[in-house]
Amino acid sequence: MDIPPPSTYTQAEAYAPMEAAAAEAVAALPDFPGFEWRLWSELPCSHNGVIDPNYVEVEIEYRFTLPDSGTPLVRQTYVEVLREFWSGLGYQILRDEPVHVPDRLDHNLYARREDGIGLWYWVAGYTVLRIQSGAVPISDPADIEYVPPSGGIRPGSKYDKVGKYFPEGIPEQEAVAPFESPDSYEDSL
Amino acid sequence: MSEMTWQQLRDLDCGAVRALGDSWKTYVDGMLDHTARLRTDVIEGHLGVENYESDTATQVREQIGLTADRFEDDLSDYATTRIATSLHEAADAFEAEQGELKELVPLIESHDFDIEGPQSEYDVNLSGGLHQAILTLNPPQWLCDMVGIKKPDGFWDWDTLKSLFSSVDLYGTAIGLAGQYQDWLRAVMARAHDADDDAAAALKEMRENPSGLPPHLGATYDDLIDDYKDALSSEVADEARAIADGTSGMSPEQVNQWWEGLSDAEREALIAEHPEWVGPVDGIPTEARDTANRTLLDNRIDSLDDQIAAKERTLAGLDPESDAYERVKQDLDNLKGDRKDLSELQAIITDEDGNPAMSDKAGEQHYLLGFDTEGSGQAIVAVGNPDTADHVNTLVPGTTTALAGIGGSINRADTMSLDAQNAAPGDANATVMWLGYDAPDTIFPEAMQKRWADGAAEDLENFTRGLTATGQEGANHTLTGHSYGTTVIGHAATQRGVDADNLVFVASPGVGTDTASALGVDEQNVWATTNSLDPIQLTPEFLHGNNPIDDDFGGNTFHSDTGAWNDNNHSTYWQDTNQVGRDSIAYIATGNRPQ
Repeated sequence: MDIPPPSTYTQAEAYAPMEAAAAEAVAALPDFPGFEWRLWSELPCSHNGVIDPNYVEVEIEYRFTLPDSGTPLVRQTYVEVLREFWSGLGYQILRDEPVHVPDRLDHNLYARREDGIGLWYWVAGYTVLRIQSGAVPISDPADIEYVPPSGGIRPGSKYDKVGKYFPEGIPEQEAVAPFESPDSYEDSL
Repeated sequence: MSEMTWQQLRDLDCGAVRALGDSWKTYVDGMLDHTARLRTDVIEGHLGVENYESDTATQVREQIGLTADRFEDDLSDYATTRIATSLHEAADAFEAEQGELKELVPLIESHDFDIEGPQSEYDVNLSGGLHQAILTLNPPQWLCDMVGIKKPDGFWDWDTLKSLFSSVDLYGTAIGLAGQYQDWLRAVMARAHDADDDAAAALKEMRENPSGLPPHLGATYDDLIDDYKDALSSEVADEARAIADGTSGMSPEQVNQWWEGLSDAEREALIAEHPEWVGPVDGIPTEARDTANRTLLDNRIDSLDDQIAAKERTLAGLDPESDAYERVKQDLDNLKGDRKDLSELQAIITDEDGNPAMSDKAGEQHYLLGFDTEGSGQAIVAVGNPDTADHVNTLVPGTTTALAGIGGSINRADTMSLDAQNAAPGDANATVMWLGYDAPDTIFPEAMQKRWADGAAEDLENFTRGLTATGQEGANHTLTGHSYGTTVIGHAATQRGVDADNLVFVASPGVGTDTASALGVDEQNVWATTNSLDPIQLTPEFLHGNNPIDDDFGGNTFHSDTGAWNDNNHSTYWQDTNQVGRDSIAYIATGNRPQ
């Protein structure tokens, strides 16, 4: 085919539903310890072997602290909870398998929604929740709006790694935290 | 060119070669004691100013001092760096290949194959006995097992008939296995010859360019000493130029020893005055190369600006309808294209304050290890410092990758670095995007040709050896190729040898050999993946050899998910549809084999 498959969102439109998907997942997790950071990034999209400058894939990563990444709650319980939760919402579970590595049992749980948004819970050395847009038409950077993070990360803090998109700083009215929280939950639980 | 035969390599006493290197090192230590005594006992002692004060005595003291200096330099540059290191490198390389030979030759013999042909192009063929066994319907047990038939044990029984009906398979299987052994043998000998040639080149250059000695004492001393001192002052520059030009014969390890032997002032002067002798050179540490290459990049962009301005002035004076106008316009467009590509590269690796930029995902510094605008353009950019990393993963991209749009490949390297961080917290890792070759621009015909991979083999070999020379001892090195990049890795590994613990072939059209055994890396650490909808797997074997995902290639495979059925599944390996591939690469690159 000559053009990539149609996507539900443009890049700028994708952030809000992706962040909503993250918040939705966080809300389902019991005894949630908080994330260490949020990272917005992009991956190039290729077409016929050539990187297509008109498309991009948005990836949002929420990472637990290293101590939290190693707890049974995060490594096992959350896998079970998210599996049930995402299945219950009708998301298609495309991958659900343990990965044996030396001295560790990791796990990959991947679900995809009808709108093309993917949710990847990767239990590894660090445990991360990744929200992925799939290929979306690239947007003018000025059209990308700030969306506050989930999971207890203070908007605009050094743990909110979205600065590349807002070189002038996070818009003031957006930077207000939805609730008071420290910059990091490390060593506080 | 090396004329070593496989029998000579098999019988070589590598321990003796290594012991010879050791003895040169011991000799150097002993001789350094002598030069120290020359200075303290003679120049400052018996011949000291307190005992002898005259013009002649001053000359003698100077001459002895210069001779001691020269001797120390030669001990360092020649005895240690060239002779001892060359012998050690050759011994290591020969021993590695000898080990493979000791595994391979018994396999060849036990399967009743013969090694024939000149040493540069060994053939492994079916022996007369094996031909006869197949033709007389009495194939050996191993061949029956491979084809899946029972060995005939009587005349014209059912098994014999099956053997007859399977004769084409029997021949094909035997020839296929002989071909794999042939690939393996040729690769072993190619790497051994390469090591032999490298050592010979280092020693030959030393023999052909002996260092000058201080002039003799006597009437002409005053006339000649200034020339000698002038030559001394340019010696480091001459060495640096020869290394950068590739005429020194020194390996990356030897270059690293030479660099570490320079004073801080000499290193700083080279970086500032001659960045072109520092930036592209494998074996020089990453920080120094990065600094030099950033200067070169700035200079190149400034130079392009000047050339563009000059062309625009020329163009303004030409008739737009003339041929000359068209030619100048084409030149101008090319210059502008180069200017744009280099500016984009600069923007990726530089922050708003002009300092080295951190990567978006892994948060690691970008290091510029090389760039070029020739052909489709080249760039070598590290995400994280490979010299301080526990794990270094070098990504070799494939067809259509060019300097234009290089950000996409650097982005992939950054993604791989972030994935590696998550897989192995606490370990330092670096991912290098190595477009150090002119990649094919088209799938047909260019990616069908092996010349692009052959052209890259020596450069990739040297790059990996440079990483070893400048990196942490025991660091885990991985080479990851995508598409034609896998072919590049395969050619480098079989023809020259690469310093890598793991090889990862993603979406390979073939790697130039039919067997993982020929790659010179433990077969257990060779990995391949291709998703089920990727058309690359349809590449015919006669182009680039057996596909590394095939069972009979050897090594390991790991799963990669497909993208949408109507997507181009040759390019989805780092996208959201392929978590399994992404995390597998991260596990391999951090020394955590996925199970």
